[in-house]
Amino acid sequence: MQLDIRDIRIHYGKAIAVDGVSIRVGAGEVVAIVGANGSGKSTILEAISGLTPLSSGEIWFGEERIDRLPAYEIVRRGLMQVPEGRRLFPYLSVWTNMQMGASLRKDKAGIRKDMEEVFEHFPILRERRNQKAGSLSGGEQQMLAIARAMVGRPKLLCLDEPSLGLAPIMVNGLVPVIKDINEQGVGVLLVEQNVPLALKVADRAYALQVGKVILEGDAETFRCNDVVRKAYLGG
Amino acid sequence: MSGSLLAQSAVNALVLSSLYILMALGFALLLSIMGVVNFAHAVIYMVGGYVCYELIVTAGLNNWVALAITALGLGLFGLFLERFGFRPFFGNTNRIIVLTLAVIVILESLVNVLVGSEVRAIPSFWSGSFQIKGVWIAHERIIAFVAAAVLLIAVFTFIRRSRTGQQMLATSQDFVGATLQGINIYRITAIAAFIACALAAVAGGLMGSLMFLNPFAGDQMLVRAIQVVILAGIGSIGGVLVGGLILGVLNAFLPLWLEGSAVDAVGVAVIIVIMLFRPQGLFGHEA
Amino acid sequence: MLESRWSKLAGLLLLLVILFLVPVIVGGRPYVLHVGVMVLLNIIMVSSLRTIFLSGQISVAHAAFVGCGAYFAGVLAKQFALAPWITIPAGAIMAMVLGVLLGIPFTRVRAIYFAMVSLFGGIFLVDLIRVARTWTGGGTGLSKIPPLAQSFVGQKVPYYYCTLALTIVCLIILWRIEHSRVGMNWKAIAQSHLVASSVGINEAFYRVLALAVGCFFAGLAGAWYAHFNMTLSPDSYGFLPSIFLVMYMLVGGQKSFAGPIIGAGLLYSIPEIFRRLGTAAPLVLGVVMLIVVYLMPEGLAGLYDQLKGQLLKSREERVTKSAAED
Repeated sequence: MQLDIRDIRIHYGKAIAVDGVSIRVGAGEVVAIVGANGSGKSTILEAISGLTPLSSGEIWFGEERIDRLPAYEIVRRGLMQVPEGRRLFPYLSVWTNMQMGASLRKDKAGIRKDMEEVFEHFPILRERRNQKAGSLSGGEQQMLAIARAMVGRPKLLCLDEPSLGLAPIMVNGLVPVIKDINEQGVGVLLVEQNVPLALKVADRAYALQVGKVILEGDAETFRCNDVVRKAYLGG
Repeated sequence: MSGSLLAQSAVNALVLSSLYILMALGFALLLSIMGVVNFAHAVIYMVGGYVCYELIVTAGLNNWVALAITALGLGLFGLFLERFGFRPFFGNTNRIIVLTLAVIVILESLVNVLVGSEVRAIPSFWSGSFQIKGVWIAHERIIAFVAAAVLLIAVFTFIRRSRTGQQMLATSQDFVGATLQGINIYRITAIAAFIACALAAVAGGLMGSLMFLNPFAGDQMLVRAIQVVILAGIGSIGGVLVGGLILGVLNAFLPLWLEGSAVDAVGVAVIIVIMLFRPQGLFGHEA
Repeated sequence: MLESRWSKLAGLLLLLVILFLVPVIVGGRPYVLHVGVMVLLNIIMVSSLRTIFLSGQISVAHAAFVGCGAYFAGVLAKQFALAPWITIPAGAIMAMVLGVLLGIPFTRVRAIYFAMVSLFGGIFLVDLIRVARTWTGGGTGLSKIPPLAQSFVGQKVPYYYCTLALTIVCLIILWRIEHSRVGMNWKAIAQSHLVASSVGINEAFYRVLALAVGCFFAGLAGAWYAHFNMTLSPDSYGFLPSIFLVMYMLVGGQKSFAGPIIGAGLLYSIPEIFRRLGTAAPLVLGVVMLIVVYLMPEGLAGLYDQLKGQLLKSREERVTKSAAED
């Protein structure tokens, strides 16, 4: 299903955090939003998931307008987010955390099958499935956060800075994970400061600066663009 | 120290602990899931006692049926309170404090007006007493403990095992994380409020059969509930069991050596000392 | 700007005149004057509670400190026959010392934890009062405390004026402290301790200072009360009375200096005004509290600004509407 962000504005108190941004994620596409800290990218994800209200503009998912719905209703439509800081349930086990991702599903057998599949992707989680989520390492927690969302079988998965706090090896490990998710037909909206990583997985990208889109195009265009190269790719 | 006195105190410890836990569990649920300090818990307890009394004495219902209806009724009041009192002011602690205090004031004076200063007590749930090794133990104390324990086991099982219960735990650990998994947090807070008030009502009904009812009985129980929750640690649901047990034992055995206010003082001093060295309580999540 | 300052001063002056004339207005009725004294003392109590609140700490033990001052003064006066001009400051100082002692170990904890510690601290203090029954009379209370002055016995009018003077002095002191550098530091700490310490403000010191000042005036009010009512009961200083003081502050509006004054003044008087309703009197209080919660986000003190804001907003809407219609 297509995600359509139409000319949205979001205020942070009196200051404007997002100023007239339009972004489209086609069904099954991988789209990245890159930009420095404070450019407004996380705010956009918050708005998509219903955590922050829009000052103006609309957000559409498929045939439905979602920007006024409560957060859990948006999840019900098949749009899930792995937020910055992961927001795991630290005193619940890995297994239970993943179960929570499937909160809206009723088919027990289907959930079990999907959990097995997800464990295939992340064997470490299977090993640690009875451990409390708070006791996992940073990389394992990130995997768990993504795994949790995958069990929910979303149509679109938003990832907010998944590379934050991860060792370089782990960061590279994210690439096959995101590609696999996408292969299953799930759309991905990736918000990242780590531009090389973003460009490795994305079909298209947007660059955000001070709340506005300054560049938009496919991965190749980005790589060749001078501004992007100087700012993010080291010239 | 006679064995009989010790045995009686032991039974008292069980009864007090279970009632404290009933109160504290509900309080802890509301605190950890919604961040609400529900002072009104005090009057729910008290009203539970009086409603139970009316159902048994005036309407002639069986004790247990009356208790169940009381729990249900006050549980519904909890839903009402959550929907119109807590939800609109979510995050605004100050207003919720004043709101719950208003509920205390209104309900306490309402009961005072309607009932007056008549002394009332709920008839025993199981009258008579039995002997173990020469020690007389009143049936009603045992039955109060058993009833409370059964209810607590049921609630804890629900929280630990059922999907909704786990969602409640999840919501109490990370509210935003929970909404992002699609958990309907309004449903969770409503259920928490229902359970909390129902438990407090049961505590009131059971206690009402052991002691006289009075419109201001809830205040003391509220302090106990807060003591247990602090002892256990904010955010800990399971820790309430241990906290309640500790407080129950203290309050049952200390009176053998100390007078009333001294017992209270010791209990409070213990908590203050614990807060000095371990501010997050015995099982709490953060300082 | 100058205009509003003059009008505020004029309003204050008018209020003072009315307060001075109260005994005349009510024809010297002792009951009303008694309530008047209690209202004034409550104003001191709630205002000093707000002083502690300014530093970001919520004390749910304030009534207990009032009680400490009351009992200390009462015991000194009754058992040691000391004069009120000794016992009253002594009571205030004792409360201050206890507040500091209780507060020092907890200068680093967050607001909600401090609130809980204070809750238990207060209960502990009152329990101590009950336990020390040889001095304090325990649960039955302490009675036959000497009055403020022999000539005051049985007379409410002199008590009223003395208490009025005391209240005005206390409020002036609290106002000056709040608007001094000390007050600024308190507000800085309350806002963000990180920022405050980076500017070099010693958070622990100022938090304890706020406690000291707040508890001093609480004890002062309590000690004064001991010589006014001449009887004390530990029930007046427990958990619920402390919470009620917090509630007076919140309903009155914790952001402004006048908040506690309005809160204490109004909320304490309501059950008295509706006395003839008997046990139903507190119901009115409860209803008023609900009205404030649902309709007045800034408390009673903020009502004026709230209404002004709404008037401006509706005027704006009418202007934009008519502009759109053109």
